[in-house]
Amino acid sequence: MVGEEYRGTQRWSRNKQAVFIVGWISFLVAAIATMVFFAFFDPVDLIGTIDDELDIGRDAGYAAGFFFFWALCALCSGVTAYLVRTAPKRKSKRQKQ
Amino acid sequence: MTKPQGAALYESAKKIYPREISGRFENLSRIATVVLLGLFYAVPWLSWDERQAVLFDLPARKFHIFGLTLWPQDFPYLALLLMILAYSLFFFTAIGGRLWCGFACPQTVWTEIFIWMEQLTEGTRSQRMKLDKAPWSFNKFRRKFSKQFLWITFSLWTGFTFVGYFQPIRDLGMDIVALNVGGWTLFWGLFYGFATYGNAGYMREQVCKYMCPYARFQSAMFDKDTLIISYDEERGEPRGSRKRSDDFKAKGLGECIDCQLCVQVCPTGIDIREGLQYECIACAACIDACDSIMDRMNYPRGLIRYTTENALHHKKSSIFRPRVLIYAALLVILISILAVSLATRTPLIVDVIRDRNTLFRELPGDIIENSYTLKIINQSHEPREFILVIGGIEGITLDGVPEPLIVAGGNVLSLPVRARLPRSSSRGIMHIDFSVTATDDPAVTVIEDSRFLGPSP
Repeated sequence: MVGEEYRGTQRWSRNKQAVFIVGWISFLVAAIATMVFFAFFDPVDLIGTIDDELDIGRDAGYAAGFFFFWALCALCSGVTAYLVRTAPKRKSKRQKQ
Repeated sequence: MTKPQGAALYESAKKIYPREISGRFENLSRIATVVLLGLFYAVPWLSWDERQAVLFDLPARKFHIFGLTLWPQDFPYLALLLMILAYSLFFFTAIGGRLWCGFACPQTVWTEIFIWMEQLTEGTRSQRMKLDKAPWSFNKFRRKFSKQFLWITFSLWTGFTFVGYFQPIRDLGMDIVALNVGGWTLFWGLFYGFATYGNAGYMREQVCKYMCPYARFQSAMFDKDTLIISYDEERGEPRGSRKRSDDFKAKGLGECIDCQLCVQVCPTGIDIREGLQYECIACAACIDACDSIMDRMNYPRGLIRYTTENALHHKKSSIFRPRVLIYAALLVILISILAVSLATRTPLIVDVIRDRNTLFRELPGDIIENSYTLKIINQSHEPREFILVIGGIEGITLDGVPEPLIVAGGNVLSLPVRARLPRSSSRGIMHIDFSVTATDDPAVTVIEDSRFLGPSP
């Protein structure tokens, strides 16, 4: 093909693509979810309902919320991506004969 | 694509060395980079009324944007703003194609700066390719080291700036100088800095090709009148090399001299002559490259140009299509709603929370009592006195309201109150309302509905 040497033409493997897409999309969704969630709930109030003596502050509350959402979204879309994997069809032995 | 699949599927991506180019669109792109990054790095340093002009103060749950201070309760504005941004993207994509990708996307803009630093330290495209192939030497180490030094410094500054949107940036600078930075602050700064370093230094076009959701769905906003960057096949083919003095028409050639400059400058490594491809981020580098060759050959410019599918097929292109008009109408509506609601916004929020533990209490003297907690948020910057009135049922009274009722500027007052009603007026579930009015300005009024529960008669 023309100009092959100039082009990063090797494509990513399906698995690599899946890992990066899952990571990135769940990052974006988690960012939006964090904004929406903490617009309605104050982390300090929430932590108070779990344990009155736990005082980790708002900063840590926001960070924990964000990573929780990220992990949740990544788990969800990761499992989905894993379950919908398809392999190329192979001809069965009978058909080959 | 006719590439062999299989083993190649598991090879890592080859590095792309985009060739440097100058021209009209490269200048536009440089201007966009300088303006957008300039804004990003400069805005946290602006001041407004003795505070940082743009500060998303998460610990205090307040968002300062110049003269405007938003609270978490103002969430609808954020939702509106996000919708406006989404529809703007649809609108501009329908008209101008992937303008966002080529000129405004942070990925493109930061990559542009990182490639510029790479050129500064490692030289031109061919020098960079040679350097990467060469064995380690002092020269190679020196060049690679300077590049990494520039990249890492720039990334750290980017992370610092990012955190500076959430914490007062001047204090943050002092803290860093004094080596007294909080754990989360340090974490987010490094996180953002590392993301910049990885995305703009190494991932580059692979983010657009494999990870970007917009790249996947932008084609849904395209039609035959959308601006695309395209090679004029009719004019260019059959391609072939020739001397400048040759009469190419007599040789049966088109105007493409097959110099491959358009491929070499492409940051995503595609050949635009193969037609519209989803990898194309519409950066227009190939237009500049081809125009420079056309000028040298004394051919008219525009063998590769911004055009539309209709124009390429000699049909009429129009800007005003139903799709564009619908996007525009939605944008106008959303922007008007945002503008009107911001202009008529009262700097007062009242939340009424009914005590859920008890339905009602019976007091001596046949009185029914319900408890509520009122959150009165004074969004103005000065302390204000308010009048609180309960209404909705004849004969209802309110207990527990301090006289005078004053809320400090930018503060929330949590006020437990009790509403009382004679048993004879009780009718089961009844609707009541709390109205809060500023004494100095009757226009600042909020009426909140709630319910009063009592025994049915």
